[in-house]
Amino acid sequence: MTSPSPLIEARGLSKRYGSFVALNRADFVVQPGRIVGLIGPNGAGKTTALRAVLGLTTYEGELSVLGREPFAERALLMREASFIADVAVLPAWLRVHQAIDFVAGVHPRFRRERAVAMLAKTDIGTQRRIGELSKGMKTMVHLALTMAIDARLLVLDEPTLGLDIIARRSFYDALVNDYMDDTRTIVITTHQVEEVENLLTDVLFIDKGHIVLDCSVEDIGARYAAVEVADDRIAAAREERPFYERRALGKTLLYFEGADRAKLRGLGEVGVPSVADLFVAKVSAERAA
Amino acid sequence: MNDFVWLVRREFWENKAIWVMPACIGALMIVATLFGTVEVTLLNTSGQQSELAAALSLLAVGGVFWAAMSIYTVWYLLDCLYADRKDRSVLFFKSLPLTDSATVFSKLFVALIAIPLVYLVAADLSALLMAFVISVRARLGFGSILWRPELWLQQQVLWLYVIVTGILWYLPIVGWLLLVSAWAKRAVILQAILPPLAIMLAEHLFLRSHAASLLFRDRLLGGSYVALHHPINWSLKNGEMTPGVWQLPDPVGFLSSVDVWVGVLIGAAFIAGAVQLRKRRTDA
Repeated sequence: MTSPSPLIEARGLSKRYGSFVALNRADFVVQPGRIVGLIGPNGAGKTTALRAVLGLTTYEGELSVLGREPFAERALLMREASFIADVAVLPAWLRVHQAIDFVAGVHPRFRRERAVAMLAKTDIGTQRRIGELSKGMKTMVHLALTMAIDARLLVLDEPTLGLDIIARRSFYDALVNDYMDDTRTIVITTHQVEEVENLLTDVLFIDKGHIVLDCSVEDIGARYAAVEVADDRIAAAREERPFYERRALGKTLLYFEGADRAKLRGLGEVGVPSVADLFVAKVSAERAA
Repeated sequence: MNDFVWLVRREFWENKAIWVMPACIGALMIVATLFGTVEVTLLNTSGQQSELAAALSLLAVGGVFWAAMSIYTVWYLLDCLYADRKDRSVLFFKSLPLTDSATVFSKLFVALIAIPLVYLVAADLSALLMAFVISVRARLGFGSILWRPELWLQQQVLWLYVIVTGILWYLPIVGWLLLVSAWAKRAVILQAILPPLAIMLAEHLFLRSHAASLLFRDRLLGGSYVALHHPINWSLKNGEMTPGVWQLPDPVGFLSSVDVWVGVLIGAAFIAGAVQLRKRRTDA
């Protein structure tokens, strides 16, 4: 994480809608070659942050994406960045072959044959209108179009919302197997953390417009620990200052940040929290504070 | 430039009515001429009078297309920056390297240039086919009068003149419709009509004057007074219409009218506003 030129750099990024503060001086950095999960509850500011990154909205603060100022230079930015803002936004009147022609016509980095090859694997006829396709098929068309673009940055905002589990799985499989390589960077938001957990290299937790955590997945194990503590040791465990406690199924889990492993082992069974568990712990702790 | 061609093509894919509607109107007219049994008394009168009738019937065909086009263009302008926000497909188009100004100008180009040309071609084709049908069906050689080249040339020149002056004259209305289309989250038609109505009503209630009503009325209906010579006293002299169609347009008077250029400025401001809104709005 010491690359000199981050792909996305936000400093004090803020956005208000009337009296509602969607983003409150958020700072974050996305390095090239990573798959970053922007994770937060509904209304946390995920979509607003992505809209700012993609040049779809005005904002306060400093924001640089691929060295550009997104709102002022959206069209230029879109030569190198690409996004799927939730499924099924292809217009219903468009035919599949028209969609391919159109993107091929206006996008200098579109590889037509790649899109055609990907669609050939499905049973989606290119003469069909988007409006006639099922939601899963629409997603596959959109994904085929987007993945055929040689973009340095791909942003996915709740890409699988409303899809059944089979369509969701094939979406992520295509993403990881056919698209991702070390020249690309993906930022993905979802509130179904479990689904993307094992794709991610980095996580950004966001709540109430704040970045709660900015951490690589490999660092989670080094920085965080979840300890299952027996009831008689809870008082001792609390001495080590856990930032969050949770009782479930008669067990008590205590979450620690940067604590001494040797000491923790004396308290109970030490594990690495899953991204989903860590998210709940961090956000709950932040809200309680 | 290439992007612009694709943007315009896209409009034709989405809005099939651009050519389907004039095609249907033309087809109806031709069917009516094929099977119609209306005997116009003029058809049986002298050559001089039927010449006037021929010119007027061509003008009438043009008029029907013109009226249909005006209604369609208003609808198109109100819908063009609203529909893709409503169905959220704006998010797809914004993921492509196309500027918002190119997008807005492609819609403006379709509304002001492409649609009128499509209607001109449709009016010409319909008139040609109708003239052919009339030539075959009519007695007294009325049909042959329809085949005079200058009659057709007049029609083309008049159309093109009306298109160009219409673009300039109606630019404030066009700009306003685009602005509403880029702004509205619902009920575009109401939002286009209510503000001018409110201004007229407020002026009437509080100032007891009607400057706004007169201004709107003149803009909606007064274009031909500025673009064409007035008053026109039609008469027939030795079988020639005077003033002839060639004498109708008043380009110098039109281009030197302050009203025209004030309107163009207001229209340009509205269009610039529509571009700014287009940059900011992604939902409806």
